[in-house]
Amino acid sequence: MGKLSKLGKVYLAAVFFILYAPIFYLIFYSFNSGGTMSSFDGFTLEHYAAVFNDTRLIIILMNTVIVALLSSLIATAIGVLGAIGIVFLRNRKMRNAMLSLNNILIVSPDVIIGASFLILFTMIGVKLGFASVLISHIAFSIPIVVIMVLPKLQEMSSNLIDAAADLGASKRDILTRVIIPYIKPGIFAGFFLALTYSLDDFAVTFFVTGNGFSTLSVEIYSMARAGITLTINALSALIFVVTLGLVVGYYFFNQRARTVGTGGQ
Amino acid sequence: MSDTPIIRFENVTQQYEGAGNVLSNISFELERGKFYTLLGPSGCGKTTILRLIAGFITPTTGDIYIEGKKVNHLPANERQVNTVFQDYALFPHLNVFENVAFGLRIKKLKKAEIDRRVKEALEFVNLKGYENREIQEMSGGQRQRVAIARAIVNDPEVILLDEPLSALDLKLRTEMQYELRELQQRLGKTFIFVTHDQEEALAMSDEIFVMNAGEIQQSGTPIDIYDEPINRFVADFIGESNIVSGEMVADYRVRFANKEFDCVDAGLNPNEHVEIVIRPEDLEITTVADGKMAVTVDTQLFRGVHYEISTLDEAGNEWLVHSTKKAEVGSLIGLAFDPEAIHVMRLNESEDAFDARLEAYGEMANEK
Repeated sequence: MGKLSKLGKVYLAAVFFILYAPIFYLIFYSFNSGGTMSSFDGFTLEHYAAVFNDTRLIIILMNTVIVALLSSLIATAIGVLGAIGIVFLRNRKMRNAMLSLNNILIVSPDVIIGASFLILFTMIGVKLGFASVLISHIAFSIPIVVIMVLPKLQEMSSNLIDAAADLGASKRDILTRVIIPYIKPGIFAGFFLALTYSLDDFAVTFFVTGNGFSTLSVEIYSMARAGITLTINALSALIFVVTLGLVVGYYFFNQRARTVGTGGQ
Repeated sequence: MSDTPIIRFENVTQQYEGAGNVLSNISFELERGKFYTLLGPSGCGKTTILRLIAGFITPTTGDIYIEGKKVNHLPANERQVNTVFQDYALFPHLNVFENVAFGLRIKKLKKAEIDRRVKEALEFVNLKGYENREIQEMSGGQRQRVAIARAIVNDPEVILLDEPLSALDLKLRTEMQYELRELQQRLGKTFIFVTHDQEEALAMSDEIFVMNAGEIQQSGTPIDIYDEPINRFVADFIGESNIVSGEMVADYRVRFANKEFDCVDAGLNPNEHVEIVIRPEDLEITTVADGKMAVTVDTQLFRGVHYEISTLDEAGNEWLVHSTKKAEVGSLIGLAFDPEAIHVMRLNESEDAFDARLEAYGEMANEK
């Protein structure tokens, strides 16, 4: 990458400042001993203590994590198989149709997906709560996994599959010993992306969740509506740190995968 | 050893959707333990034959037999055949040892036996000590050897090689030609080698199948094919040739370039229209008085081993000459050649008729 001009650097700094300033402002006031975000009265951790003392909040946090882990795991399994199915479709038109159907789900607004799931669940009589949230999270995660796994599959030489069959591998062996190890970086990328999508999903969850079941984003939304307390700041700060951790973890995983397992020539 | 051919094709035709015939009614038999080469330009169907034998595709019509058993619908993973791919197709997520061990692990052999056989195979291809290397750390030539080791470790009856040398540089390619030939002789397995490089084919094969447009044009030993090409395509594809049209005046007498010459071909119709092949290395530069033909030197190229001299005769035919002697561009020189150097090709002759005619010469020569 070439060196940035002075103007370029200033512009870049300004953009990042505007993007990150509100988050750091929010985190900064989570340590404020005064009850508002207008003046900083002194350092305190009491808002964090409040977060951890609120068992309801902890349960909601657990719900969020469990839904995220479960939904992204299941979505990864289904998405990987789906991507493999799409890539090996002989019929070109069919393959393109499948891909388009997949991509439409990614670009269509969450509100529409949420609303349509709400209609579906009420029509077939699924009780709104954990199950409905999990199912809808799996549903919107699958296309994400597919889109992350596809490039790896497409870059894989079909000779690898022929070579495996030539060496005696059955269809099942080919899947478990050649295809899946080869696309592993794509699978992990898809899993992590699905995880973050699920963790911070608000719109879909807001529609399909029912009484007694809530996730963090929905909860924060309702807390904010009830009136600003710095507990929200503390909770948001915690989520930000965890997300940062995930991104850094993903980055290091990718680095390692790049040095060890770059595909082919 | 049994007498059944290891591989037999019976009237095999292969079609791809919308692409017409890739192979048209191909039949041949391959003997055990020989080095065969399928030679032809790209798109001639040679790789399709390989894929049919490996079992990656099934023939549209016709039958394929391996060791006398019909295998049309036997899947690739149940055939006693292993392939070395053009891009090697090594598994990038496995190291050298695991790549070679892949087939043995599928067969669920004992660990000690896998260890022993993989080591043996790697030693066979001179890669001892490379077991724990990653594929990305290996050079092109080394990857090639890993691919060969991965094929031979399974002890297949037939090894298929799909242009395996095409990605290597010239020096390594020549080296690998020797190694492959030697490997085949040490193993005693049937090798089927696909290439578009006539030098590779001539250097390594027991028998060559020259293919064009989905058909086998001619099969035979490298010497047969080089010395007695059946038609213009084969003569042109294998080595360099001077091909001109002419007529058979009578037995052992042929007319071309407005002159009559003695030749060794007979049994053709009088005044039959034929094509004449003379190899550039069979033409010798001499004085106009001593030569059988007078030609003008058009261009001259220094090729290292010899000069490549392009000359024109009075009738306007081009004659390419390979000579260690230099000629002067623009001068008139004589070309001398033996009657044996003249190879007469009938137009549209089938391979069977061609072989019968060649055999007849042998008998006639004996009678003389």
